[in-house]
Amino acid sequence: MTETLLGFWLALPSWLQILLANLVKIVIIVLPVVLAVAYLTYAERKIIGYMQVRVGPNRVGPRGWLQPIMDAVKLMFKEIIVPTNANRFLFIGAPILAFAPAMVAWAVIPFSDTLWLTNIDAGLLFILALTSMGVYGVIIAGWASNSKYAFLGSLRSAAQIVAYEIAMGFALVGVLMAAGSLNLREIALAQAGGAHHWYILPLFPLFLVYFISGVAETNRAPFDVAEGESEIVAGFHVEYSGMAFALFFLGEYANMILIGALAAVMFLGGWTTPFTPAVVASLPWLGDGIHWFLIKVSFLMFCFLWFRATFPRYRYDQIMRLGWKVFIPVTLVWIVVIGVAKFLTPWGYLFH
Amino acid sequence: MDFKQLAFYFFAAVLVFAASMVITVRNPVRAALFLVLAFFSAAAVWMQLHAEFLSITLVLVYVGAVMVLFLFVVMMLDINLVRLREGFGEYLPIGGLVAVLLVLEMAIVLGSGPFGIEQMPEPAPLPADYSNTRALGRVLYTQYLYPFEIAALILLVAIVAAIALTMRRRKDSKYQNPGKQIQVQRGDRVRLVKMRAEKKS
Amino acid sequence: MLNNYVPILIFMAVALIMGVAMVVIGRVLGPHRPDTEKNSPYECGFEAFEDSRMKFDVRYYLVAILFIIFDLEIAFLFPWAVALSEVGMLGFVAMMLFLGILVVGFIYEWKKGALEWE
Repeated sequence: MTETLLGFWLALPSWLQILLANLVKIVIIVLPVVLAVAYLTYAERKIIGYMQVRVGPNRVGPRGWLQPIMDAVKLMFKEIIVPTNANRFLFIGAPILAFAPAMVAWAVIPFSDTLWLTNIDAGLLFILALTSMGVYGVIIAGWASNSKYAFLGSLRSAAQIVAYEIAMGFALVGVLMAAGSLNLREIALAQAGGAHHWYILPLFPLFLVYFISGVAETNRAPFDVAEGESEIVAGFHVEYSGMAFALFFLGEYANMILIGALAAVMFLGGWTTPFTPAVVASLPWLGDGIHWFLIKVSFLMFCFLWFRATFPRYRYDQIMRLGWKVFIPVTLVWIVVIGVAKFLTPWGYLFH
Repeated sequence: MDFKQLAFYFFAAVLVFAASMVITVRNPVRAALFLVLAFFSAAAVWMQLHAEFLSITLVLVYVGAVMVLFLFVVMMLDINLVRLREGFGEYLPIGGLVAVLLVLEMAIVLGSGPFGIEQMPEPAPLPADYSNTRALGRVLYTQYLYPFEIAALILLVAIVAAIALTMRRRKDSKYQNPGKQIQVQRGDRVRLVKMRAEKKS
Repeated sequence: MLNNYVPILIFMAVALIMGVAMVVIGRVLGPHRPDTEKNSPYECGFEAFEDSRMKFDVRYYLVAILFIIFDLEIAFLFPWAVALSEVGMLGFVAMMLFLGILVVGFIYEWKKGALEWE
């Protein structure tokens, strides 16, 4: 049986082999991401429920486990309403534009030392470029739906995303200075050898700036003015329903998990173990592995939900002030601190 | 034709198609979106020239930033489409002449001298750990230092110009100063007046 | 190097196809019964009374321009940070000068109130 399959495989032309192999790998990445998104929504409702002394969803399936599946099925059977005077083509295209970059960015994430789809040299730059394309989905959705609420929401959201992208970019520069590479795998490997090597210690201000900017970039509470229900209903996606809305939703949550994955790789050592090599030598099951990556990402995702349950919503002018007047100066100062430490003082080793 | 060539012709065709749509499509927002597509295909073509950093930066800066500004402007302006297209037939001959001249010039330049496959052999394959970004950084901040600093000055001028052109203080906006609000003393707000009870006459 | 980008190209195609497929699934499975009330844009119970693509504050425009400028700065900082150990003292001083010039611009913005959102 295996021999016939192998013979069949070898008989295929090489381009088809490459295409099929890559398609299989892509499915192996995309399916868990979509599942993670589904269960992140479940976790969100459950965790915030418990934080507010409620139980959260508990009807569909044992303890509500099937809730996200049912939500997806429900969205599939809902009508996609296209408002009158909307620009039809762009209205349908916007959610696809929001969804596709959020997925493609996963191509360069190293899940462990050997698990990645592709290992390009400029991985971090690639992700930054892709996330900067996410803003199109928002702007086009707001413009194409021809609704005042959607339009205002998309403007607010775009200005906010744009402002925090700068802070995020500057924070990444610090990581690059420490690691000396744009390749995500090399960045993670530079932090191998225990938790005291992780960049979160020398680059703590940058970690805070990066993570909070990530929360703001994905329009999550407490920076969710773009969809503040009490002001502009749901922001840029008021007019969307059914699967078109589901695409926005998937894109937004996939972006959240992406922010967590990047933070884990750049500041928390990715898949590397928090224990020193001496400990790992005696207890080998504590060694590196994808499980460390998943644990770190899950913890950061928990923080996202925790923030939502804890902080009241920021005002829009406060958000813009925080982005431009606090984060950018902090990152600039820290870049100079790293540079000076590396070139003028003997403490450069602190920043590797 | 191998995959490389196929990919090149595909992206080049998309680039030409998108660029011609930018100038022919009626709706300005659609035109801006076709420009995005054009930039994206151009980035793909650059990538095939092994210009990894520049290609991704093209997407980051032009698609991610410049076109966002374009979209804002196009959405903000009430462009009268009919008036915009008024002189189309009138300018067509001149425009066509310029376009033909440009094509001719390009054909002459590309068809002679230092261009062509013979003069530009395919570069030697790069080692596996070659980093395009690092190679760029190595020369940009040492060899090309002067242009680099001039870039900083140009950006400074851009900041000043942008503020000079678009900064408008709104007269109708009201806002509070929380610091002042907190510092207020009772005496600033309330005046206790002692007066006799008035008698009814 | 280009071989590394082939999976990304395939991934982009897959992501776009997935997006289109999901909309098509929604279209096929969901009902399609439009009526004027349902299709009118949401407006808090009012009748929609004018085109919603209105003019908006020039301030958004300023934010977008400043974003381009800072994005370019980041594009300059990335190769520098990667090649930091190779460019030496000269490269370090060059970048500090670059940042110094731009901090002047940043202070100007700040003092002019361009970063203020009223």
